[in-house]
Amino acid sequence: MKNILLLEDLPQIRAWMRDLVLRVFPTAQISEAARVHDALQLVQAVKFELALIDLGLPDGSGVDVVAKLRDVQPEAQSVVVTIHDDDEHLFPALQAGAYGYILKEQARELIAEQLQRISSGEPPLSPSIARRVLAHFTAKAKPQPQSILPHVSLTERESEVLLRVAKGFTLPEIGVQLGLSRHTIADYVKQIYRKLNVSSRAEAALEAQRLGLFGR
Amino acid sequence: MLTRVLCSLWAIGALGIGCPAPAAAETVPPAAITSALSVESDARAFPQEPAARTVMLPDDWWRSRPEAAGPVWYRLVFAVPATPPGGEMAIWFERACGDVEIQLNGTPLAGGGASRSSLASLCQGGHLVSLPAPLLQPGSNRLDLKLSGRPLERVASRERAAGLSAATIGPAADLSQRHTQHERLRAGLAQSLSVALAIVGMFLAAQFRRNRRDSAPGYAGLALVALAAAMLPQWLPARLGDGLLAEIVFASLWSVATLGVVQFLLRQAGRRERIVDIVLPLQCVLMPLSLAALAPDHLFGTTQAWIALFVIEIAAAAALLLSTLWSANRRAFWFMSCLLAAVVAGELLAYAGVHASVVWVATSGHLVLPALSLLAGLRLVQQGGRALESAEAGRALLEQRVAEVKAEIEANYRQLAELRVVQVTDRERKRIAADLHDDLGAKLLTIVHTSESERISTLAREALEEMRLSVRGLTGKPVRLEDALGDWRAEVISRLGQAGIEAVWNMPTDELEQTLPARAFVQTTRIIREAVNNIIKHSGASQCAVRSQVADGDFQLVIQDNGKGISVEVDGRLDRGHGLSTMKGRAKQLHGQCLVESGPGYGTVIRLTIPLEPAGLAA
Repeated sequence: MKNILLLEDLPQIRAWMRDLVLRVFPTAQISEAARVHDALQLVQAVKFELALIDLGLPDGSGVDVVAKLRDVQPEAQSVVVTIHDDDEHLFPALQAGAYGYILKEQARELIAEQLQRISSGEPPLSPSIARRVLAHFTAKAKPQPQSILPHVSLTERESEVLLRVAKGFTLPEIGVQLGLSRHTIADYVKQIYRKLNVSSRAEAALEAQRLGLFGR
Repeated sequence: MLTRVLCSLWAIGALGIGCPAPAAAETVPPAAITSALSVESDARAFPQEPAARTVMLPDDWWRSRPEAAGPVWYRLVFAVPATPPGGEMAIWFERACGDVEIQLNGTPLAGGGASRSSLASLCQGGHLVSLPAPLLQPGSNRLDLKLSGRPLERVASRERAAGLSAATIGPAADLSQRHTQHERLRAGLAQSLSVALAIVGMFLAAQFRRNRRDSAPGYAGLALVALAAAMLPQWLPARLGDGLLAEIVFASLWSVATLGVVQFLLRQAGRRERIVDIVLPLQCVLMPLSLAALAPDHLFGTTQAWIALFVIEIAAAAALLLSTLWSANRRAFWFMSCLLAAVVAGELLAYAGVHASVVWVATSGHLVLPALSLLAGLRLVQQGGRALESAEAGRALLEQRVAEVKAEIEANYRQLAELRVVQVTDRERKRIAADLHDDLGAKLLTIVHTSESERISTLAREALEEMRLSVRGLTGKPVRLEDALGDWRAEVISRLGQAGIEAVWNMPTDELEQTLPARAFVQTTRIIREAVNNIIKHSGASQCAVRSQVADGDFQLVIQDNGKGISVEVDGRLDRGHGLSTMKGRAKQLHGQCLVESGPGYGTVIRLTIPLEPAGLAA
């Protein structure tokens, strides 16, 4: 049995999503929310295994819910379900700790398959997201002497995977190219998402410290 | 002016060469008479009394008889050959200050080449008196000379105190030449200097009128003009230098000159003292008043006292300026030091000359100050000229800088305005994009997931994708060609893969630096998407190959499948389902082209060529 959070403001789509989720996880307990405020309260109250979070909501951005969930329930998997496919919208959510993303308008079967994959540890990674991640870590690679926070960097293999994704190769293709199994590649991608989150949090903390918001 | 100075210089040279020139064998060489009998008497002729005593010539009264006002009779005794071979004889006095009457062997010499008045006025001038042959006696001759001048205390300057220099007797021609040279040197030089000083001084004063902020040249000009005026008695033939009033006036010029010099020095040192501004003009008033009050008997002493004060003032101002220059401008310091040292040396020379009764030393010594003042004045004029030049240059530079800065500001303003337009446009685009997503996107999404008809769902999904691309075209930044290829590859491969079509993708391995404007990226994406749609929906192909390359400034993409192809009729008229004309139209918008080669049995080849020049892509 799974506890699943479903945050979506459009009632029809929410209903449709609920059906879809129940099809993938027939025994799931689904908590629905239409607003960021409600979702945050649910996050405090209920322990979730999976959260499907829309980004553009009437009272704010789903990114806040992703961040809150990452803080309060690190074990929970946040998946962004959105109409935005561009990295400008998706990247902040991934930095906040989202574990993957699904585009809403895709066919039911496709979404179901992606949902299955994400929950089983195979998050998707588009070329533009890969480029953003690479750029993020390249900028981070510059020396930061005052940094008291652990320096997070990508391994050579992780960079290699990102580079190939950026060039348009699919994850199975990269697995073949590098002689790695599908699971190993998936682990790399998960690791990349995790590091992106850790690094982004460290960066945010550093920024807060620089602004004097951080205590002694 | 210059020629006058040159003439005078020439005269110096001529004197130097001319004086020792050997006289002709038959002429009598000029002989100096350095002693005379002298007696103080107002008699009509040399008094025949034993009181007469022998004095050495020159006889300066301030030395030999300080209190005396004359007249004094001098008797010079000399011998000339009975028939002088050189023609007429003459006697020449380098200097005779005062009214002079001359008698040769008891006979008054009428005029003798110099009138009474000019003899009096030109205290420093020489006097040439010709000795008429009929009056000369063989053997001993007597020249009696009655001099009535003024004692030192009644004149302001030692040069105008009564006195008689040594005499020289010889052929009139020789002496005349010597006299002319001497006068030319003395008066000519003084005149040249005086006029030059006046001109330079007025020029400097005029400069001050033009630029009131820098008053230093104005004061220098005042000093020079005063100096020039003070030199007038040295060369002006009129009776200007005579009389008490003239004495007071000329002596008072020194206070004016001092005002000019001190203020000039202070201004050069960058100082301006209020007390000095008051005291110096006050001096100019007080000096003539004090002289008038103490005249005539204490004229000289009073003048000397004033001049001592002036020297102290000038020395103080000079010391101040020198100390300022030492740290500020070493070159100017040395120039000023040398100038001052030369002035001091000149004055010492003049003093020594006066006291040793060497007239030419005294005279040339007195010319040092005006000469050096002229030099300093000329330097100031030159500096002023240079300053004017640099000011002009500075102004030109300033104008240029102003023009540059103005252009820069205008450019910045334009840029700012453009930036603002860009910002506003960007914001507006983002707003439109957000609205599209929120309203249209949500509605389309609802249709996608609630429509009963699969066809409508697909259409809505496609519309949503189109909308997203449009938004990206609205808001997107330029896309690197390499990144674009990555996006297209990922989409094409995964879509074909989902459709079960084997895909091969070839693309350049080297780095591609070119960028595509957002619109070009979006349109190309649509073309590729449409092509892939056609392959999936209509071709029935099992394989698809995509090749891309950059050649001749074009981006070229070839999509080839092994499907059943598109019949010509469909291509020509009934291609609505294939969207071929739309693809071609989009390529055309980008100034590129999209060629479709097809035929039953050998599949379809789509050749897309997009120029990479920004101008072509921006369309």
